[in-house]
Amino acid sequence: MDTKPPSRALTIALCFVVLFWVSPFVWLFANAVDPAANGSLRVPTAIGFDNFIDAFSGNAGRQFLNSIYIAAGTATLTVAVAAAAAYPLSRMIIPGKNALLWLLVLLRMLPSTGVIVPLYFSAQATGLLNIFGIIIALTILNLPFTLLLLKNFFDTVPLELEEAAYVDGASLWQIIRQVVMPLSRAGLAVVWFFAFTGAWNEFMLPLIFSRTEAGFPMSVGLYAAFGQNGAIDYGFLAAFSIVYAAPVVVVYFLLRRNLNTGFAGVGVKG
Amino acid sequence: MRRQIRPWLASNGWLLAAGMLPAIVLIGALLYFTGWVFAFSFTDLELVGRKSIDWSWVGLDNYERLFTRKGFLDSLWTTLIFTLFSAIIGQSVLGFLLATALRGTRGVLRNVVEVSVMLGWLLPDIVAAFLWSATTSKTGLVNNLFVTPFGAAPVNFINDLALQIVIIANIWKGTAWSYLLFVAALDSVPKEVIEAAKVDGASPWQRAWLIVLPMIRTHIATNLLFITIATVTYFALIYAMTGGGPGRQTQVLAIFMYEQSFKIGKLGYGSAISVAMLVIVGVMSLAYIRMLREPK
Repeated sequence: MDTKPPSRALTIALCFVVLFWVSPFVWLFANAVDPAANGSLRVPTAIGFDNFIDAFSGNAGRQFLNSIYIAAGTATLTVAVAAAAAYPLSRMIIPGKNALLWLLVLLRMLPSTGVIVPLYFSAQATGLLNIFGIIIALTILNLPFTLLLLKNFFDTVPLELEEAAYVDGASLWQIIRQVVMPLSRAGLAVVWFFAFTGAWNEFMLPLIFSRTEAGFPMSVGLYAAFGQNGAIDYGFLAAFSIVYAAPVVVVYFLLRRNLNTGFAGVGVKG
Repeated sequence: MRRQIRPWLASNGWLLAAGMLPAIVLIGALLYFTGWVFAFSFTDLELVGRKSIDWSWVGLDNYERLFTRKGFLDSLWTTLIFTLFSAIIGQSVLGFLLATALRGTRGVLRNVVEVSVMLGWLLPDIVAAFLWSATTSKTGLVNNLFVTPFGAAPVNFINDLALQIVIIANIWKGTAWSYLLFVAALDSVPKEVIEAAKVDGASPWQRAWLIVLPMIRTHIATNLLFITIATVTYFALIYAMTGGGPGRQTQVLAIFMYEQSFKIGKLGYGSAISVAMLVIVGVMSLAYIRMLREPK
């Protein structure tokens, strides 16, 4: 690939693009570190971390933990269930496998807004209108996509390696743990991250499922805080937003290399 | 070779089947719920009160109501406008332009553009909603920078231009997905082909229109498929920014469904709206899949 410098007009256009994307963040940080923030853009009169302390204490702190439980729980459960099914699906001859895969593709397109009413009803009937219910519901919704993705990843693990391990006397469990898993680590990381971010961002399901402010995840908590009428505490909301956004952003940049390869795979195979 | 059952798998058939069991149960549940939505849509089930227990079948009443009462058709129109301008025109075209502009460049500028566009995408919906509703409010950033310095009275953008602001916010939020997909797509176009066209005297416009776009048609269709489905059913960003208001100006289908089901409590009617959304998404998907399937 050649490395020609972009023309001047292009550079200017790209600078505007950057400005458009970055300016809300500048506003966000300026307000978050200003204990007397009022929502306007100004150089903070004083810099303090009071807003961040507020964003970690009381209900806000509990909501952070709720979000962690929901996102980590959903991601782990989804990956465990999907991996256990994707490996046989990739390796074995199952009658009607193609039909099954097409069914998964169709289900993957199913919007979650479409099944939210029965989800709510069955959660209500089984007493699962809580964090645990949210985890199960999100796992159900994530599963078709995750299953397809992991099946594709397992397809790329060469059978010859497993064969060699078998000839050397390894059991199925050893083959999976020591051959298949290490080779599909990138795939598992991508899938886990997708499920984690999806659950971390999820808004509609917890909005309907959670009953008390102490049971809200951060998405609903933030919405409830800025939806309230009256004086808006911009400093607190900005700090809370940063705390809420930070984990996904950090995890993304940690996994970036894995994600981009995985992402290309998703796009093409969709 | 692959068709054959491997000995280490054959001797553990039951174990592997047991591994698939949880997934089968959960996928089954999802199918069951989908069936349930269809069944609900023919009832007058309600969230609370007498009809939450003592419901009855009402035939096609809910579907008739979709087209005779105000609300559904308006929401459908709002959804189409929102999807057309924010996803198909905004995210897709901007993503393609950015990918094209940055193709073959390296260095600081590219990284800065990529990271800043990605940040919008990574941000949780509700944070983006807070950012955009706060910055476009009467005392917000946009007024501070572009309106009051010129002596004009501050404009309450989020209220007066609600749909436009929501569309811009969604472009800001979602362009990264299209951008990444088009970067991958452009990488799949061999450089030799572009060079050959250049030698033959094709203008940049001709190169894009006649060579690059046809070569990445499947990527375009895939991208449109994903972002259309996501945008037609998008709830969080719009709901948190405007709640569907002012009035019903930004009441897209997902918000309409939510309001009817969980605010007004008409679960039967809400289910009929869900089914309508499934049908709309299905029809759009079929159109794109045809685009994918067509011979080159």
